[in-house]
Amino acid sequence: MNLFRSEEHIARWLGGREPGATITAAKLADLAVAWWGDRLAPDWRPHIREENQAILERVGLTGEFWALA
Amino acid sequence: MEETDLELRRRTYALFVEHGRAPAAGELGDADEVVGGWRRLAAEHALVLNPGTDELRMLNPFSVVPTAYRVHAGGRWWYGNCAWDAVGICAALHTDGRIETSCPDCGERLAVEVRDERVDDESLLFHVLVPAAHWWDDIVFT
Repeated sequence: MNLFRSEEHIARWLGGREPGATITAAKLADLAVAWWGDRLAPDWRPHIREENQAILERVGLTGEFWALA
Repeated sequence: MEETDLELRRRTYALFVEHGRAPAAGELGDADEVVGGWRRLAAEHALVLNPGTDELRMLNPFSVVPTAYRVHAGGRWWYGNCAWDAVGICAALHTDGRIETSCPDCGERLAVEVRDERVDDESLLFHVLVPAAHWWDDIVFT
């Protein structure tokens, strides 16, 4: 899960491997806030799968690639 | 998840954030009991242990060991497990920050400022290689 300057850098880094998914850094920020924002809360409890899937969907990450186990 | 394990997790994270380093099991109580609790928390993906040593490896989004993602936030340097976690450290601490890393392809230095939950260079791209269903197959690789 890495940051890159451009699609060209991603393609070179993949070196023929199957690409995963690429999103903008702006969307990454949305995702990080939604996913990790409560991690130090005193009343934190583990997210169940459905909660995490809902976070992904809320920031627009849908489809087979983003389907959690 | 048992309340006692949640409390252990809370104290583990609190010590980590307070001191900027992972606590040893003995700092949190009887070492065997603490390791037992950490193992149960790891089974629930609430933290990650080093296989074989039972030492803390990840207090997600924080990495206990150095990584390619350095984060300055809250007056201290941290390590993120990946780019997502690096931004997540600012989110978890509810503070602005600065992420320093390099392009995995060419090695060019990349620095990102996080201000008010936004990154200052939104032209950068975030690539996820492993499909979500397999993230926990090997979380260190993911």
